[in-house]
Amino acid sequence: MNFFLKKLLIVIPTLYIAWTVVFVTLNIIPGDPVNLMLGGRPASDEVRENVRKNLGLDKPVLERYGSFLVNATKGDLGKSYLTRQPVTKMIKENMMPTIELSIGGLIFGVFFGVLFGIFAGTKPNSIRDTISMIIALCGISLPSFWIGMMLIYIFGTTLGWVPIVGDGFVSLILPSISVGLFFAGGMARLTRSSLVDVLNQDYIRTARSKGISKYNIILKHSLRNAMIPPVTLLGIQFGLLITGAVITEEVFARPGLGQLLLQAILAKDIPLVQALVVYMTAVYIFLNLVVDFTYGIIDPRIRLERKN
Amino acid sequence: MEDLLKVSNLNTEFKSDYGSKPALNNISFNIKEGEVLALVGESGSGKTVTSLSIMGLLPNNASVENGEIKLLSKKNKEINILNLSDEKHNEIRGNDISMVFQEPMTCLNPTMTVGEQILEVIIRHKKISKINAKKEMIGLLELVEIPDPIQRSIEYPHQLSGGMRQRIMIAIALACSPKLIIADEPTSALDVTIQAQLLELLKKLKNSIVTKTSILFITHDLGIVKELADRVIVMYQGKIVEEGNVLDVFENPKHSYTNNLIQSLPEFKIEKRKQNKIIKKETNNKNIILSIKNLYKEFPVDKGIFKQSSESVKAVQNVSLNVRQNKILGLVGESGSGKSTLGKTIIKLIEPTSGKINFKNQDISNFNRQKMQNIRQKIQMIFQDPFASLNPRKNILDTLMEPILVHKLMKKNEATEYIKQIIHDVGLPIESLIRFPHEFSGGQRQRIGIARALVLKPEFIIADEPVSALDVSIQAQVLNLLETIKETYNLTMIFISHDLSVIEYFCDEVAVMYLGHIVEMAPVNELFSNPKHSYTKALLSAVPKVKAKKTNKILIKGDIPSPINPPSGCVFRTRCPNPTHDCKEGNIQMGLIEVSPNHWVDQCCVNCH
Repeated sequence: MNFFLKKLLIVIPTLYIAWTVVFVTLNIIPGDPVNLMLGGRPASDEVRENVRKNLGLDKPVLERYGSFLVNATKGDLGKSYLTRQPVTKMIKENMMPTIELSIGGLIFGVFFGVLFGIFAGTKPNSIRDTISMIIALCGISLPSFWIGMMLIYIFGTTLGWVPIVGDGFVSLILPSISVGLFFAGGMARLTRSSLVDVLNQDYIRTARSKGISKYNIILKHSLRNAMIPPVTLLGIQFGLLITGAVITEEVFARPGLGQLLLQAILAKDIPLVQALVVYMTAVYIFLNLVVDFTYGIIDPRIRLERKN
Repeated sequence: MEDLLKVSNLNTEFKSDYGSKPALNNISFNIKEGEVLALVGESGSGKTVTSLSIMGLLPNNASVENGEIKLLSKKNKEINILNLSDEKHNEIRGNDISMVFQEPMTCLNPTMTVGEQILEVIIRHKKISKINAKKEMIGLLELVEIPDPIQRSIEYPHQLSGGMRQRIMIAIALACSPKLIIADEPTSALDVTIQAQLLELLKKLKNSIVTKTSILFITHDLGIVKELADRVIVMYQGKIVEEGNVLDVFENPKHSYTNNLIQSLPEFKIEKRKQNKIIKKETNNKNIILSIKNLYKEFPVDKGIFKQSSESVKAVQNVSLNVRQNKILGLVGESGSGKSTLGKTIIKLIEPTSGKINFKNQDISNFNRQKMQNIRQKIQMIFQDPFASLNPRKNILDTLMEPILVHKLMKKNEATEYIKQIIHDVGLPIESLIRFPHEFSGGQRQRIGIARALVLKPEFIIADEPVSALDVSIQAQVLNLLETIKETYNLTMIFISHDLSVIEYFCDEVAVMYLGHIVEMAPVNELFSNPKHSYTKALLSAVPKVKAKKTNKILIKGDIPSPINPPSGCVFRTRCPNPTHDCKEGNIQMGLIEVSPNHWVDQCCVNCH
């Protein structure tokens, strides 16, 4: 059977398990969504019953679970308890800003990550290696809210180079850097160690014995071989971004899936949380597929293994 | 002939935090145009460092301290390589001097097709159009005798066998018709049969197109030197100890080190033994201690969760053999012939698929783990890689103590005394007990490996390539040790090796394996003087020997077939140099026939020739 067909078949049980886990947890943790909906206002039992009926919470748990699964397969993930809007619509509205931010972060992270990785990895244990790795470490360890605020302070308010809020490409720059720095740090460290490893391989010595220039040795012979570990990290980190970067969204006052999820959990808005989990699981599975596919492009040995 | 390369007073050092260590000590030599110069010596003698100094490819912690390397370039200008900038040096690398490395498995870029890797060097130096370069590339592949070159050129290295990959490396080295090719142990990682094919190719190239090309051939194998080289340089601890014509040096070595090196070759030791009339007695009245009947081992091929596996790797096929008390049975064959699997199956480290294993009149093939525990004390293994098979975090005493305690052979204080005795017997000082594996040399580690096998007072030892990773002189010492140990401890042995001369020197009986089958089995003198199977004959003639006169080699073509789909009938028929019609069609079944007392040969070869 085709390798990717097999992988796609695993999607269904994975989604099913994820939904079930979310449904069960949200039902056993204490707190009544009715109370949260009423916002703490005192209400008669009659009103409470009405709300409960409206939300469909009067039915037994198993029935709710069953109808949730049935509706989900039809593409209907229910209505939010809080806003009474279809949750799919709410996710769609918040998806674009998140995707924009993720792609911005990805571009920044990959570009600077690989650049610093090459810079450090081609001359291990040198001064430039040490400096690059210190910068990478800062990227990983400095909290993104602090970086976000510093960026706003320096480039937004003091220098006034970029607008802090607003739509369009320019306003995306600072948030992208804010999420991309963490990304870049990890990429740089992994690219470096992988590159150091590859540059010690016998085939690099062969390439040098052929008189290939330093530039071509790195570009043609090393980078492709060194890319497997960074690509794995890329998949994981991009998954993190595209499911929402709560803190960055908060700092830059941007809408996004991170914000949406936070509010949904606090309000115990079960349908919305469930829908977001479905979305996130699907995104992760999809990204994993992309990463697997990329492995095959990078390394012909993996391609061959799959054919057999 | 003019001197192509002049190396004078070359000093290369390795630097570490503890100071610098000289690797080359005032090396001076010349290579003439069109000459094959062999550089021999043991590991650590500085052969490779010499070649890397010439190429300018020394690792970061090594550097040339002083000296001169002068090359007569293609434009007939003399240049001192050591004064070149890296860019200028790159003009020479691959163009004037090229190199073939030892490990064909790791020397080619796994993510580029082999064609691209050859094209790259042509385009880099010849500056010609891609179409013309492609034509040259296909021509080179034909030159190194790669079948179906157009198809092969778009394949990746992992799709080719070791021998093929080394041919690709040679094609890369030849691409720009360099003045000098440095070949650093190019055949050491390959089987003898494949090595013979490559040496034949090199000889052909030497005699035809590349007449003006010189070769610096680095090897530890004196037999190859004899076969290929015009002149030889012997290196020892970073110095040149002897230099001269190949014939002169071998017949009349001036330096004692060279003499020792030659004398420690198994072929010379065998000769010495013959001179001293210590011919091994071929007695058969001894008891059979181990007997194997119709043993099979097949590994199912993993097909994933959804499919039941229908294919299997046929590693051991219908093997029957007997080992007599105090005798050494040698198992020999190419890699992939199933020797090691057979060894491991005998002590059931691998469960046999079917067949009987009789050890001291007990059928152990159906023994469970507990029952095997007692047998394992009696049958011990010595492994090829002593470093990988010793736990790096345990000192030697603990390593040797563990099996004694596991088998409850004796108490701890008693055991310490006993271990001291054993460590003395294997020729190591008592102090080594408190040291760790990384503190020992390769030969010493193998001594520890032997000691570990001995502590349980075994009666039977299976030694899996115990000397393959060692230098010739160390190899000789370890073999001597094994012989003494065998006598003092009254042992019986199975000795697995791919090295025929070691087998000839060390064993009493030999079984030749090919693709899981034993194709010939005989007492050692009989097998080596009167081989019957074509595979045995080919193996024997493939070994380069110092003493041998020039004879026509029996070359076998191609690589060993896949054990998943072995040829029907006689498994050797696809590579047999002279198969008959029935043989080719796979009509003849396999099975051993006794052609003379104790000499068993596969019936296919008996009937064919």
